Amino acid sequence: MRYFARRLGYFLLTLWAAVTLNFLIPRLQPGDPAEMMVKKLAGKDAELDPAKIAAMRAMLGSPEGNLFDQYVAYLSQLLRGDFGVSYTYFPTPVTDVIAKALPWTLVLVGVTTLLSFVVGIVLGALAAWKRNSLFDSVVTLGSTFIGTLQAFWVALLLLFGFGYILGWFPTSGGYDSSTPGFNLEFLGDAIYHSVLPAAVLLLLTPIGWILGMRNTMIMNLGEDYIRLAKAKGVPDRQVALRYAARNALLPSVTGFAMALGGILGGQLLIEQTFDYPGLGRIMGQAAMSKDYPLLQALLLFTIVGTLLANLVADLLYGVLDPRARKANS
Amino acid sequence: MKRKWTFAACLALSGALALSACSGQIATRDNPGTAASGQVNSAGTDALIETLTLPAEVADNVAGIENYNPWSPSATSKNYFYEPLMIRSSMNCQVVPWLATEFLWEGPVKLSFTIRDGVKWSDGQSLTAQDVAFTLNLKKKYPALDDIGLWTNSFGAKAESVTAEGNKVIITFTGNAAAKFDSLITAKIVPEHVWGSVGDPAKYVDTKPVGTGPFTVGSYNGRKLVLDRREDYWQADKVKVKHLVIAGNFDATNAALKLTSGQLDAYWGEIPNPANSFQAKDPNLNHFWYAPAGSTVFTPNLTKVPWNDAAFRMAVSQGFDKQQMSQKATYGVMGVASQTGLKLPYAKALLPDAMANTDTVLKYDTAKANEQLDAAGYPVGSDGFRTTKDGKAMPVTFSVQAGWIDYQGAADIIVRNLKEMKLDAKLIASPPDAVDLQKKSGDFDAVLEYLNGGCEVARNLGAKLSTDQFPTKSEVRTNVGRYSDPATDQIVTQLSGSTDPAEQRTLVGQLVDIMVTQAPVTPLFYAPARMIYRTDKAVGWPSEADPYATNSEMLLIMTKLRSAK
Repeated sequence: MRYFARRLGYFLLTLWAAVTLNFLIPRLQPGDPAEMMVKKLAGKDAELDPAKIAAMRAMLGSPEGNLFDQYVAYLSQLLRGDFGVSYTYFPTPVTDVIAKALPWTLVLVGVTTLLSFVVGIVLGALAAWKRNSLFDSVVTLGSTFIGTLQAFWVALLLLFGFGYILGWFPTSGGYDSSTPGFNLEFLGDAIYHSVLPAAVLLLLTPIGWILGMRNTMIMNLGEDYIRLAKAKGVPDRQVALRYAARNALLPSVTGFAMALGGILGGQLLIEQTFDYPGLGRIMGQAAMSKDYPLLQALLLFTIVGTLLANLVADLLYGVLDPRARKANS
Repeated sequence: MKRKWTFAACLALSGALALSACSGQIATRDNPGTAASGQVNSAGTDALIETLTLPAEVADNVAGIENYNPWSPSATSKNYFYEPLMIRSSMNCQVVPWLATEFLWEGPVKLSFTIRDGVKWSDGQSLTAQDVAFTLNLKKKYPALDDIGLWTNSFGAKAESVTAEGNKVIITFTGNAAAKFDSLITAKIVPEHVWGSVGDPAKYVDTKPVGTGPFTVGSYNGRKLVLDRREDYWQADKVKVKHLVIAGNFDATNAALKLTSGQLDAYWGEIPNPANSFQAKDPNLNHFWYAPAGSTVFTPNLTKVPWNDAAFRMAVSQGFDKQQMSQKATYGVMGVASQTGLKLPYAKALLPDAMANTDTVLKYDTAKANEQLDAAGYPVGSDGFRTTKDGKAMPVTFSVQAGWIDYQGAADIIVRNLKEMKLDAKLIASPPDAVDLQKKSGDFDAVLEYLNGGCEVARNLGAKLSTDQFPTKSEVRTNVGRYSDPATDQIVTQLSGSTDPAEQRTLVGQLVDIMVTQAPVTPLFYAPARMIYRTDKAVGWPSEADPYATNSEMLLIMTKLRSAK
């Protein structure tokens, strides 16, 4: 029990630190959001009109009171679930903006993360079990090679090849002419639009899992208990799955939990390349245009997501691996 | 003496004598259908264009959040519902009457607009002068809406009252407000019968726009906005686009591909080398026109040695290879800029007579620059670099905005040119925000920046040379180099309040004279307002032959497009 209480305590402490940093960092940044907004609307080569900046300042308002008062106000707002109003989409509340984008990222990144994990673990385990075989070489070398490629570059390559040259898939957006909702036309449209971004993610994200799983498993295969199991005459399949893979899976569970938490951050570069309406694209734009309320909420969600996932992983770890529980208590 | 001119008189005397907005630099015309140059790139037919697809107007505006509030920072569409009083094309400086048919200055402190008859809101009610007065007064009550600076003292005195009398709207000012005209006419007019009861208009989410504009919302699915042509638009005969589709927020690469494949009909983002990447693919249908909107200028910090010396600046200005900068930064699309600070040949009428037929672009001449630097008293030290007059080292740190590819291309050449002049120059690329901070604090040696080439010279070149336009800690203002001269301030004040075209031309001439003898900033090459378009569906886009508008006057362009078939 103490193990769990301690984990929870750590979670709350990190959460507080994250919230505080999230409050402070934008306030330490140079630059005035109103000016940024006018500059963005005007474009790069344009004289800034002081009247426009003054109007924008009046519209967005400026924080009242000293830093401490603002901090207290910020905390109490958060407790009430009030994340403020987006600067870019004024006067739409930040939560509405995020709610629009959340399903897209959740489905695209969620599904691909899950699939990548499963595919990665299976390929990694197989490669380790058949190490030094042709299969192992292809998987290991192949994924090392693909792993060195930049995600946005692969995305552009696929976009150009399958989107423009062959014209098989749409080149931007999450859907086209259908009306969002639960209807077949829209779902088909959305899936069709998600093929290319999903392909990029499915090509690149399993690599970490493959290499990680393969390495831990190879280490585990050298352990005494494997040798004992083989000596006992346990069938190969069982040794591989029940003994080696199961133990090798443990570190990956934490990694997977982190990845799940990170889903909320979206896939910034890929979403931007495909103009995909998810959280990553919104985050990129919020950062560019200094939309602090939106950026803060997005970062906070990402942090809370990661922390929560971590907490769950820690708790789960305690259940899966009694050693962790013992070592900590 | 009370000076009074009617609009007709203004037309008749165009260029002879008139007030600020109908002066030599601003000829007025009632019919936007007849272009100044009389050339249209192709006649076209009277048929309607079924659909035309344009990119999103503001980055991230088609993001699923529907709001047509014209004051929202990311209105789903800004151009086609709420219309301005008049449109002044930034290229030919002509004022095209829109919701107002005439304007009349009674001295520089009282301005009246005659509101057009027969204009209907999209809900069927008629536009009245009262709607206009209501909108302008709204800006007083809610400063967040005053994006034209009507009720503040920015560029011209603030307004005192706005009232409607019959079909006229009368604005009185607390002082000389001639300089306000250009921004004043851009005010988007909203109907009182809707906006009078929405509470704080800045916070109003406008999902059913009732405007006077040429289109109404057909459909919007969060991604694609389809606008339908209004049969009862007050100049419906000029609008030939039946469905206007506004969709997608594309980067340059994506946009170029979409344009080439016909999924997009026009675009105004930064496509590098458009001649090669777009036009060459189909020279008959693919066109682009990068109109000069202003100049990219080299701005030294005039509060620092040696840049405080006009002789030094003039010498250095001769050592810049502008031709090569234009080539490297804009693929030769944008021409090299005139040292006068005016965009030529478009603003040719403003040039002093003495310069009318001379080439005002400073020639690249390293030998001459070095000669003049020697003569100005900046000797070359033992390390091969020039020193100050009293023999101290004077390194030049040149700051450029990282990621602005055209600026970076030019900056490389600038630094090389400075070295050719035996100056110890170093290039530092920093994020644009950081460069802005340097501009605000004045902690820089030299930067690249922008000199606007808009119609009101007092607000552009004038502001660049005004002491009251020094950047402050919290605001980037125009006079980044911090040129300061009481006599020049006097000229700019006079120019911004001037209502006499002959006087305006004389005053502009005096500013030009400062530019060519003191080089407070050095214009390098023109900066574009881009227009990249296809002519398979619509013709009549602005072009070099018919420079009637830029991408900031889309509403005007919409009334000039005609079907290609």
